[in-house]
Amino acid sequence: MKIFKFVFLFVAMAASSLCAQDGPAMNVIVGDLDNPCGIAIQPETGAIFVSDSGASRIVKIVDGKVEPVITDFPVDIYGKGPKYNIGPLGLLFIDQNTLVVGGGDLIDGEEKLRVYDLKDAKLPIKADQMKTSSVLAAAGEEVKGEGNFYALAKTADAIYITCNGDDNKGWVAKAGFKGSDVASIERYLATKEATQIDAPVGVTISPRGELVIGQMGEITVPNDSLLTFYDANSKEMLLNLKTNLHDITALAYSNRGQLYALDFAWSDTKQGGLFQLLADGDGVKTKKIVALDKPTAMAFDADGSLYVTVIGEEKKGQLIKIQPGL
Amino acid sequence: MKRTLVVCALVSAWMVAMQHDPAVAETPLGLPTVVHPSDNAPSDAKIALGKQLYFDARLSVDDKVSCASCHDPKKGWSNGEATASGVGGQRGGRSAPTVLNTTYQRFQFWDGRADTLEQQALGPIANPIEMNLPIDAAVKKLSAIEGYQKQFQAVFGSPVSAEGIGKAIAAFERTVLSGNAPYDKYKINKDESALSDSAKQGMKLFFGKANCSACHVGPNFTDNGFHNLGVGMKAEKPDLGRFEITKLEGDRGSFKTPSLRDIARSAPYMHDGSLATLEDVVEHYSKGGIANDYLDEEIFTLKLSGEDKAALVTFLNEGLSSSTYPDVSAPELP
Ligand code: HEC
Ligand code: HEC
Repeated sequence: MKIFKFVFLFVAMAASSLCAQDGPAMNVIVGDLDNPCGIAIQPETGAIFVSDSGASRIVKIVDGKVEPVITDFPVDIYGKGPKYNIGPLGLLFIDQNTLVVGGGDLIDGEEKLRVYDLKDAKLPIKADQMKTSSVLAAAGEEVKGEGNFYALAKTADAIYITCNGDDNKGWVAKAGFKGSDVASIERYLATKEATQIDAPVGVTISPRGELVIGQMGEITVPNDSLLTFYDANSKEMLLNLKTNLHDITALAYSNRGQLYALDFAWSDTKQGGLFQLLADGDGVKTKKIVALDKPTAMAFDADGSLYVTVIGEEKKGQLIKIQPGL
Repeated sequence: MKRTLVVCALVSAWMVAMQHDPAVAETPLGLPTVVHPSDNAPSDAKIALGKQLYFDARLSVDDKVSCASCHDPKKGWSNGEATASGVGGQRGGRSAPTVLNTTYQRFQFWDGRADTLEQQALGPIANPIEMNLPIDAAVKKLSAIEGYQKQFQAVFGSPVSAEGIGKAIAAFERTVLSGNAPYDKYKINKDESALSDSAKQGMKLFFGKANCSACHVGPNFTDNGFHNLGVGMKAEKPDLGRFEITKLEGDRGSFKTPSLRDIARSAPYMHDGSLATLEDVVEHYSKGGIANDYLDEEIFTLKLSGEDKAALVTFLNEGLSSSTYPDVSAPELP
């Protein structure tokens, strides 16, 4: 049964890889972002939206230039050295005009999942001009408040959001949606209890509909990131695999159904990059596609191009485009 | 006697080859199977040799200090003191951690400067304030002891070597395990009677309101990471711990999260031995550690009542004490 499940989940990952040895063709689209930490591609138009997190804004990329779309998010600081200014984090369109933004700008318990209606809006809009928002507040002494909504992924009717508040539970939260109406965020899956490893960060939905989580682990511990598959409805853990990656920040399936991860590699950022995850016996093996300097988020567009944000050097964060073929 | 040992060694080497592994004792309840490095498979003879070396003070310059002097099985495999004294009574600034379950650790030492037990084992022998015997001299000294000569030949097929010393000690350390605690019986065997009501309350706090499992997690109660709790940070020249190794600003004053298994046996606590009792430790966390610029974000004031604190201590004391504690005594030395 276990083996069956395994093969089942990995079908999409098993195909051979295609990258030439010198890596895929790529180019830098924008090079002066400030801690970019999220990417979403607008349905219908294919426009790229980026969380220019340290600059407290969300921007749209038009001909290699940034156009502010939502501005004036509050700023918070992440880390103790290196330290990063952060504002908005994860981005996701649920339809052409509805953009959902995971916050990183407020303290745990007050952090917001904000929903914006971009239709006919006069841009840029202010961060507090959202259509709706919701929080995961602390409740009594037992339940801690949630924050740093790092990444978002959706099924047909729900958004899944990785959180970084209660380190005993490691919540992935969920917000249902109908049309362009997003319900309040709620605690859903306690990944730390399930895996005994901290920090769900990367999230995606597999072509078969499973919820796939990249468990980052400790930033001070190398090689401890996990790749975990859950049944999105029953919450049953289907597979939990050691990846040997250091700090997974993002997961995404390419249009060919191949699974990729970004590794931030906190304790030695030279080891960071884009990796392909391939089934290997009972486990998973990684193949480095390209080295990247502190990569944070990624999204494939309809043509199969991959867009990646990297923090890079201070105030020189990049949006990178990798040509189709992954 | 010596002859028997050699025969024993050969037999067990053969048995390893046959995939039977008498050397690998059953893993105590609650712990994962011990992983042995591919170049250091265990055998009874190797473990027996490692045990002798562990207890042998001849590995120090003045024949007075062995590993067991500072990591004494009778004292929780630590030494019962705030810091450790080596040859000539010299003291370092750090407390001797337990050797229990070190096989499960991603890093060795408070600052994680060694990766493996093999790598770690030779350090203290040569360390000037611990055993102060340069490794070459140690190899020479052991080579002059007939019993060791024979055992190294039998185990490694070569004369006494630094590598062999490290491997044998590490193989022995991999047998020093603490599991099988009331917590495991409760959690795995669902034995409700394994924990007292107070210990159960403490366990709930540990994994909830008291936030302990943010760092002390998994079968060995550690995330294997490094955190700043403020311990020792008010000193004139604080020990900067992990920072000395990584030079990452955020690692200032961070130390490795220690295992908490059989923690009742290894007072005093923390990397500098500055907290005498588990009550003191819980009080430290309850008041939110010691403020400093690098304090971990998972350390904050806890609203613990007197009863909560007592329950947490009960859980640590009762819940995590192994019923098969490896109470090893010094073996006969060659
Ligand atoms: C003089 C006292 C002393 C002696 C002798 C000594 N140690 Fe230690 N040991 C220490 C101290 C102190 C530390 C912690 C040092 C640090 O973290 O910087 C330590 C750390 C360790 C650790 C790492 C544990 C952990 O959790 O990180 C292991 C394993 C260990 N010693 C094994 C040994 C072995 C094996 C020997 C004999 C070859 C030995 N020690 C001899 C004092 C001693
Ligand atoms: C932020 C991570 C973190 C949290 C949360 C945490 N600990 Fe610790 N714990 C550590 C680290 C790191 C050390 C060693 C620190 C040092 O020596 O400077 C430690 C040390 C200890 C020690 C001493 C162990 C020894 O061998 O000296 C005990 C006991 C302990 N913790 C219990 C607890 C309890 C009980 C809680 C909850 C109230 C808790 N810890 C919460 C990280 C943590």
